[in-house]
Amino acid sequence: MTSSGSTIARVSAGPRPIRSRLAVTLLAYGALALVTCLLAPLVGSTSISLSRAFDRSIPFADNVDAQIFFVARMPRVLAGAVVGAALASAGVVLQALLRNPLATPFTLGVSAGAALGAILAISFGAAVTLGPLSPVPLASLAGAFAAAAIVYALATRPGRAMSTSVLLLAGVTLNSFFSALILFVQYLADFAETYRTVRWLMGDLDVGGFGPILGALPLMVAAFLIFALLPSSLNLLSVGADIAATRGVDVARTQRLAFLSSALATSAAVSLAGPIGFVGIVVPHLVRLMAGVDHRIVLPASAFFGAAFLVACDLVARTILAPVEIPVGIVTAMLGGPFFLWLLVRKG
Amino acid sequence: MAACKKRLILLAVLLAVTGGLKASGYHAVHDARVAAGHHAVLEAPVAGDLQVSGGAGLQISGNDRAPVTRIISLVPALTEMLFAIGAGPQVIAVSSYDDFPPEVKALPRVGALLDPDVERILTLRPGLVLTYGSQSGLEVQLARAGIRTFSYRHGGVAGALQTLRDLGAATGHAADGDRKAREIQAQLDAVQARVRAYPRPRTLLVFGRQPQSLQQMYVSGGAGFLHDILQIAGGANVFADVRQESVQPSHETVLARAPDVIVEVRTRQLGAADVSRERGVWAALASIPAVRNGRIHFLDGDYLVIPGPRVGLAAEAVARALHPEAFK
Amino acid sequence: MSLSIEHVSFGYDSRDETTRSFSLRDVSVTIQRGSLTGLLGPNGCGKTTLLKLMTGVLRPRQGTITLDGRAISAIPRRELAKQVAVVPQETHPAFDYSVLEMVLMGRHPHLGAFQLEGPEDLAIARESLSATGTAHLADRAYMTLSGGEKQRVVIASALAQAPDVLLLDEPTASLDLAYQLEVASLLDRLNHDRGVTMVLATHDLNLAASLCDSLVLIRAGRVLAQGPTRDVLTGAMIQQLYDVEADVQFHEPSGHLTVVPIRRAP
Repeated sequence: MTSSGSTIARVSAGPRPIRSRLAVTLLAYGALALVTCLLAPLVGSTSISLSRAFDRSIPFADNVDAQIFFVARMPRVLAGAVVGAALASAGVVLQALLRNPLATPFTLGVSAGAALGAILAISFGAAVTLGPLSPVPLASLAGAFAAAAIVYALATRPGRAMSTSVLLLAGVTLNSFFSALILFVQYLADFAETYRTVRWLMGDLDVGGFGPILGALPLMVAAFLIFALLPSSLNLLSVGADIAATRGVDVARTQRLAFLSSALATSAAVSLAGPIGFVGIVVPHLVRLMAGVDHRIVLPASAFFGAAFLVACDLVARTILAPVEIPVGIVTAMLGGPFFLWLLVRKG
Repeated sequence: MAACKKRLILLAVLLAVTGGLKASGYHAVHDARVAAGHHAVLEAPVAGDLQVSGGAGLQISGNDRAPVTRIISLVPALTEMLFAIGAGPQVIAVSSYDDFPPEVKALPRVGALLDPDVERILTLRPGLVLTYGSQSGLEVQLARAGIRTFSYRHGGVAGALQTLRDLGAATGHAADGDRKAREIQAQLDAVQARVRAYPRPRTLLVFGRQPQSLQQMYVSGGAGFLHDILQIAGGANVFADVRQESVQPSHETVLARAPDVIVEVRTRQLGAADVSRERGVWAALASIPAVRNGRIHFLDGDYLVIPGPRVGLAAEAVARALHPEAFK
Repeated sequence: MSLSIEHVSFGYDSRDETTRSFSLRDVSVTIQRGSLTGLLGPNGCGKTTLLKLMTGVLRPRQGTITLDGRAISAIPRRELAKQVAVVPQETHPAFDYSVLEMVLMGRHPHLGAFQLEGPEDLAIARESLSATGTAHLADRAYMTLSGGEKQRVVIASALAQAPDVLLLDEPTASLDLAYQLEVASLLDRLNHDRGVTMVLATHDLNLAASLCDSLVLIRAGRVLAQGPTRDVLTGAMIQQLYDVEADVQFHEPSGHLTVVPIRRAP
């Protein structure tokens, strides 16, 4: 009676006890992420000599190969890994929170807020900085927090579970409203700024240094610490909120933590690299197809796979039409779109 | 699941997908950035006039046209040209972005590329309207109202000078137009002569980037107005091989191209503290000769980016940055 | 475990004070240890609300609910989950969990914060599956099962919680006759063999008659009657409860009461 082919893949992940499955999966995905991150800086649009890059006798300031490797490529790969992991994990958590496998980290409006912040900063030439955060990422974070706060306020009732339908509605509304505001700001701004805002919206991992990553790091760390608390509760929550409560899950707290952690991760990711789409939905789906649906496995595996996936997409983006670079958001969209069509065809 | 909830989710997905598509590919092409060479079209529905079009040269038959009164300009570069050839008094309205010469500040505004105020334009009863080449809808509307238009296409320095001549011809200032064009050409030639003896430094000409970050940098490619200025000013564009007006290089590409000089042009002036901060941003790419030798120049002023009569000034400003020893 | 509901009132929040109504008013019910009690009443009478109050998911506005003398509001969530388990009317997981995964989720209250299920938990899960006759479905996807199988799996996952009290909301509502009997005999067996106290909300009068030893009749948020089935389930009570004429008779071959609604010609 099994019509869904996914059952077959999933069942094969089934009978072994979770402890060994978790260990094996984490090892495998972790290795994938590590290998991808180690290999990616070796490839680029410019051919460099690795021996020269690692030659300590040449002063760093004079060593072009070293600069390309350590200043241009490594931060870029690290940013890709961190953003990929954050977006994929946020996607998993939101899909569980909203009990909907089609949710993305951008569903609840956080990314629209981040985009509005960034675009205001670009269009009006903001110059405020905070530590390692330059003006545009800082404004982007502010916008993201504002959006998250609005959605949270709308959907939370004191002491009671969040209404997922209100969450979804609030997120969709905010997305539309902020998108309209973004278009309005673009319309008012100068040509040059407008084009730069459009470019920002396509995503950019070329951070050129570890500073911007350090700026986003506290939020990412906080988000991942919270992510670590959630998986078994998410399993129960995704079966039903009431039944989860009767099994000892603090539903309101789990929902709030899920929202908070995914908002933190998404804010940090989007303020660092712009809104890179499809990572937060393709990666969780692929991981579920390969490793089953238990969140205790899916969440960490998605983090690792998300890192590898985005680093790989960025590698394609920066080498395939060298020296011209394709914005990474376009590569993820070109991979993600057909993937979804394929999923739909399969299910149907 | 309730049907209404399903619909909601479908709606959410549609919005998210269109949002994602918008974010990842939609791209508004602004005609000002299209380098299609120079092309001036004069539309003349009034009886007795000739339909004139041309690529490199404009053919005018018959006598020098009588001065056109009541000119509206939507293009700042063309506004400057009008004033430069003595047609200033004929200008009755300008675009929202016009700033130079100071006389335009008192003039009424009629919108710009994206939002031309057609009603206002018609109310002012112009004899000639200077439009962007991509404003074909507007041109059709004005033609229907019997108003002549002069269509502008963005181009290099040579294109700008040709446009100046064409504009002179179209507004009854043909002689002034030619004279002014020769003047400007002389300025450019003078600059070129000054720096001819010096070797051309490999130059990166940046005209946009995020503040305090080298991300999303826009530099001049091997075509277009900025590239021409750089050539005249005695520099060698590191991206000369990329036949585009605008290039967005990654950090890696900039490191690989290793320019000797970096020139950043801005329309807005930077304060001293900001300049040192922005200079400091380049420090991360220490292996670039320009950074090592401290040859990073910040130039500001909209004359640097407007392909108008002040190109001579622009070329000189860039030349001074590249070859200070030539101007002692 | 005996469950005691004393003078409980509850109403869902409403912004407008005037429309705030009570779903339950001054309800007092005692569930004896080891009993199989049915909550009967028309739609909207408050029986589901009462069940939710018993689980601790909802808190009463007035009155107390105690489990073996301890107020359930004072019992920490996890501890309560080890004593009281719920089988909802319908379960729609958002993801494609296997039957075994569904049942193992019932072990959640017994696990520490970061603890994974061990061999004992697995054994209990498999045992629960056997008890509900669904052991052969362990590796199947839950969503591909039939209605009866799904319901039995959910019962198994509730059993895996090793509760003393099992609360069921309309357990046979969407099942056909064969499955209804299947689930009913399962519940009967569990109640007798394991001594699990059960409370089920239903509007299937014959199910209640055949399965439950005690009944609580609820109408418009108030208890109409409660007590042993044979005392409470009478034609007069049914008339008061449902406004329907019915005949209650003892059915020799099956050994329990049957209810036959009588439809008069208009």
